[in-house]
Amino acid sequence: MLSIPINKFGRDFILKNQIPAIIQARLGHTLRGKAPGVARSIEQRLRDDNPVDEEVVKPVNIGFPKLRAPRSVELKERIKLEKQKRQNVELEKKATSNTLQIDLDQVRADSLKSNRQHQLVDLIHHFGIYKDLFGAAYFVPRVPLDIQFTISEDKALPVYFGNLISPTEASKPPKVQFDASTDIITGQKTNEQSFWTLIATNPDGHFSGEEKEYIHWFISNIPNGEVEKGEVIAPYIQPFPPKGLGYQRFIFILYKQNKKLDFTSYKVEKLNDLTKRTFSTHDFYKKYEADITPAGLAFFQSTWDKNITEFYHKVLGMKEPSYEYDFPKPFLRDPEWFPLRQPFNLYLDKHRDQKEVNKDYLKKVLATTHPFKGPEPPLKFPNAHPIRGVPSWLKTEIKKDRLKIGRINDY
Amino acid sequence: MRFPRIAEKIRQLTLPSTDAKYMINRNPRNLELLRIAYKPDGYHLDKPGRSFWYKLEVNPSGRYVTAQVKHFESGPVVTASTSEWAIKKQLFKTKDTSAYVNLARVLAQRCLESGLIEMRCDITPNPNSKLDKFLRTLEENGLKLSEPERFEAPRPWNRHRPEKPWEVTE
Repeated sequence: MLSIPINKFGRDFILKNQIPAIIQARLGHTLRGKAPGVARSIEQRLRDDNPVDEEVVKPVNIGFPKLRAPRSVELKERIKLEKQKRQNVELEKKATSNTLQIDLDQVRADSLKSNRQHQLVDLIHHFGIYKDLFGAAYFVPRVPLDIQFTISEDKALPVYFGNLISPTEASKPPKVQFDASTDIITGQKTNEQSFWTLIATNPDGHFSGEEKEYIHWFISNIPNGEVEKGEVIAPYIQPFPPKGLGYQRFIFILYKQNKKLDFTSYKVEKLNDLTKRTFSTHDFYKKYEADITPAGLAFFQSTWDKNITEFYHKVLGMKEPSYEYDFPKPFLRDPEWFPLRQPFNLYLDKHRDQKEVNKDYLKKVLATTHPFKGPEPPLKFPNAHPIRGVPSWLKTEIKKDRLKIGRINDY
Repeated sequence: MRFPRIAEKIRQLTLPSTDAKYMINRNPRNLELLRIAYKPDGYHLDKPGRSFWYKLEVNPSGRYVTAQVKHFESGPVVTASTSEWAIKKQLFKTKDTSAYVNLARVLAQRCLESGLIEMRCDITPNPNSKLDKFLRTLEENGLKLSEPERFEAPRPWNRHRPEKPWEVTE
């Protein structure tokens, strides 16, 4: 035993001497999960949790290939032009004085023939067009489409790759031009007879709610790029995006035909026949896979505007539909028997049936509405009218209603 | 799943109601245009943050400049570079001030062609530098270098009801 005198403090004194070590502990900090660096990052976890079958989503190119000129030829030309530029004093002056303005139309035309085609594939993937129209297939838009909606004599709105055009601006069929005299694969001029099909389709607005499309324009057997001489299978109908549904895509696709084809089964006789206009690009392409190849693509986005109402009534002959985005309902914790520190009226309102709350407010509104004179006029100075003889919580509620704060805005 | 009962409760809240008629807009960019699409929050210590739908990036290399508009999920959506032959062909040098300015004009044109008007930009250029002129040219050509806030549906007990962006016409 230890030779420690036992005094009146006894045990305490002995224990203190027995355990002299100071235990260092960081309370309140524990590492949850694996250490950083060992644990997977959020990207890795999302990738692991949503595995994709590479075989299933493997993209299939259904478009045209393109032969490139030999690199040596291309390079020779480019070096020649670069040397010319170096000796161009005027260009140098413009560049150094920062007044050089390059020709944007020229850049557009040049780039659409070369690398921009592949940038566009990414962009079109981003707009989900290949997925919604062709499933796992894609194509490179080799033939630039020049589509212009005429607005006035000297003003036209072109369709590019997702620009916004209102239905009123797109009410008349656009002018379409494309170059049919160049061979897509070799890039050389040809005089061969060629037939083309132009389809405008909208995958975002089928009234049945299914994954179908409405066909807005269908011209087949276009000889040598002359769109006016083509066979109109479905006449042009303007976009009619319903109210509240947001922006829809209107996609023009140009197919090259191997031979003259017969599409009379798709014939739309009446302009407003929406059942006949129901379409599926996927099924259509499957059917004519051997004879048509997609060559060009352009699209715009359109949303509801004021003139659509009249179009629904007069042309489509139907009541105008109106939609609203269905937001997820708010999350609430389970109700408690004794919710501490919660204002009882607000707490109960949150957990009451929404229909009962609506009923209460409607009752309140009806009580203050005269059957002939209508509702009471709003108070000019809502805070100047004293509220007496009611509990304070009700006072606050009345004040909130007068100042149009909170639930009163919903009724 | 760690809290199956809560997960089930959340699932129930997002289920379509049985008494309504639904129409589905398949356009993946629609909700971004309506400002109700999901936008990542990122972490508050991240710098620069990750809270954007579209973001502008400028990458100068030794000889060329590349400008990209990146989407937070799809990656680069619109690209323009002075190394592209179509642009390089008309420039005197590929990295001087006039190259930057003209690249901005091309990028603005390409963005407008795809309906991309607003994007986030984390670049803080020195005044009157090449980058500064690049950004100014973008703005002159109709782009906006900031993104609107995401619209969140007001709860019934919220104080105010913010205006719905898609109901504002003009």
